[in-house]
Amino acid sequence: MNKVLTSLLSLGVACTAAMAADAAITALKVTDSLDAIKADSAVWSKAKFSSVTLYPQTAIYMNDKKANALAENVKPKAKKVDVAALYDGKNIALMVKWADGTKDIQKGATTTEYGDGFAVQFAGITKLPEALPYIGMGSAGRPVVVHLQKATEKIYEPNGNKDVGLQINRQQTGVFEKDLAEFDNKVASLANTDYERVFVAEGYRSLTEIKDGSVKSSSEMVHASNTWTGTLSRPLKDEYVNLTGTVPVSIAVWDGSKMNRNGIKNLSAWIAVNLDGQKPNAAMIAELTTDPKGNAVKGKEVAAANGCNGCHQIETTDPTSFMAPSLRFVGGYSSAAYLRESIVKPSAVVVPGYNRNAHSNTPWYNLEKGKRVSTMTDYSHLGKAEVDDIVAYLKTLKAEVE
Amino acid sequence: MSKRQLAMVMDLNKCIGCQTCTVACKTQWTNRNGREYMYWNNVETYPGTGYPKNWMELGGGFDAAGDLQPGVIPNLESDYGVPWDYNYDSLTTTSLIDGSKEAAFHPHVSPTWGPNWDEDQGAGVFPTDNYFFYLPRICNHCTNPGCLSACPRDAIFKRDQDGVVLVDLDRCQGYRYCIAGCPYKKIYFNPKISKSEKCILCFPRIEQGLPPACAQQCVGRIRFVGFLDDLESQVHKLVNVYKVAIGLRPDYGTQPNVYYVPPTESPAKFDAEGRIIEGSTRLPIEELEKLFGPEVHHAIKTLKDEMKKRKETGVSELMDILIAYQHSDMFRLDNNYYQEVAKEQHRTPLAPVDTRYVAGKFTKAGGHH
Repeated sequence: MNKVLTSLLSLGVACTAAMAADAAITALKVTDSLDAIKADSAVWSKAKFSSVTLYPQTAIYMNDKKANALAENVKPKAKKVDVAALYDGKNIALMVKWADGTKDIQKGATTTEYGDGFAVQFAGITKLPEALPYIGMGSAGRPVVVHLQKATEKIYEPNGNKDVGLQINRQQTGVFEKDLAEFDNKVASLANTDYERVFVAEGYRSLTEIKDGSVKSSSEMVHASNTWTGTLSRPLKDEYVNLTGTVPVSIAVWDGSKMNRNGIKNLSAWIAVNLDGQKPNAAMIAELTTDPKGNAVKGKEVAAANGCNGCHQIETTDPTSFMAPSLRFVGGYSSAAYLRESIVKPSAVVVPGYNRNAHSNTPWYNLEKGKRVSTMTDYSHLGKAEVDDIVAYLKTLKAEVE
Repeated sequence: MSKRQLAMVMDLNKCIGCQTCTVACKTQWTNRNGREYMYWNNVETYPGTGYPKNWMELGGGFDAAGDLQPGVIPNLESDYGVPWDYNYDSLTTTSLIDGSKEAAFHPHVSPTWGPNWDEDQGAGVFPTDNYFFYLPRICNHCTNPGCLSACPRDAIFKRDQDGVVLVDLDRCQGYRYCIAGCPYKKIYFNPKISKSEKCILCFPRIEQGLPPACAQQCVGRIRFVGFLDDLESQVHKLVNVYKVAIGLRPDYGTQPNVYYVPPTESPAKFDAEGRIIEGSTRLPIEELEKLFGPEVHHAIKTLKDEMKKRKETGVSELMDILIAYQHSDMFRLDNNYYQEVAKEQHRTPLAPVDTRYVAGKFTKAGGHH
């Protein structure tokens, strides 16, 4: 029995390894205005859906004991979603459809429930495939813009609105009946039912909400027949991005019933979206849609020979016993360029912070003149072929699809 | 680590569990807008479940290697308790004396748990060896805060000028990892605004030279407030000089800045016949060791020695401090300090408007009764 199981498992690994990168998505040009596009807008009938794989994020291990203990999070699975894109010359619109049997809405009277949600990430640098921002909220000098939509009940944000009088508990108003109902109505009118946020980030922990109205976007989430449909429209050009030709985007979804939020999520690698009728960026498409040319089997040997497992857990995740990020599922959401850069220039992207990975005796980075310098050895002395092989191997490390 | 650290000392020998601090805090900060269930300041019975329920078992803090430990986020209903409310409206329309069995006036939920659900229960067997004491708790404004380490958004910060730990509500997105990371469970999720909130050490008050509301209102005068590096502050003397005030659960590794004078005075036990067992004490030292670590032995010895000294000679600076004669001595907020900080930041510092409130009309500044 054990043997059968083992061979089945290894078969599974083989299948995973064979899984190719997601194909490019074509954004058709439409004449309809996409300013306020909704999930049920007729214009979506023109769109072409492509399948995109969203992988569990495992580089950062979060500290929520209950969430980490959930079976779905102990053995996280990748998730297939359908994505379509349109553009109208002024805006780009995306639709993401994903299966979710439980409609989780974050409620206003509980501390332990989480809402479903989705996000679309755009790169601030879109032309050079080797300089794409780190998939996990960008990296220093390579910003990203993240559009987040969460399913929540009414959210009150009275801070700064000078409506202090309406923040008191209704029982302390000293009024009853009609007057109290009037008070309740005023309070309710303060609430925002739409948890739609736009952020700019240059790396993990740096995500900052754009609140000055400089990004005009519109998104919504609709749940029907065990499927969420999320839509987003945003300008092709604003002070954060300039989207032309081939647009790298990344998609994340959160499942509230798995206590998903922030780091506990599924996210895609950078996906190429071609604006139909514009000149595509061939280098970007090649980078994002084709598997790296190295030899994965050799790469595994090279990785072992160079002692990568001295700090990284490569095919396992045990947060208690490693200092460097686990590479168990790194191939799913990382671009080959990022993996290559991390091997030959380890300090290019260093995640700041003090979380579980930060063993104080063995820090994964030191601060030198205010810059994070990775404690990882620089492997730039490796030959190009060897690096290619390691990258090819790392690209095979993916969670299996749900 | 901040440039300076403001700290509070609470003398557990003197806490009577009156909850005046709790109410002072609640009315000031948490009676509205999604904070109704929160007690930034609470007073729990020890031994007991505490608030939130069994908070000491919920993880967080750091291990010996300095690694943040995973933790559990308490449930509003079963661990904190739903703050139930009454339909006062009904009182205007229904009669309470018409004999109807169904009360028109009732709480909006049937409560299953709440803070101090087990108040005054304690441990042991009545009347032979039962015991308890009160443990007032606020945020510890830790030197190495678990909440800050856990936050993936850099939304929690420790003020450089006084070490007060605050949530940047603009950055907070309500992920709640901070709650898992805090071993004291003294940071709370506000579900109405979907952000975390916590004790702010009444910083708008301290910046004006006033102590936090909980300390100001304390009828037992158990709370001392001051800077740890201020050699004149009683906090400094209790913590650094006499070493009779110790952080709660130092084993959590967060270096808390609320310090407790451990309870030393507890009645003797009774034997089966109800006679006093001479020399016995009801409070097990193991419990105090669990709460305050091995340092508690030294603290208790110093307290006992000084008590004796005071009895015999009438002189003990430590006892004089703990008697807490003057608010002006107990609270050294160094108002000029914040004025200087404001000036450095090119802002106009506001002088306290009420000088009498600070100085007192009938008290001679600095003098004792």
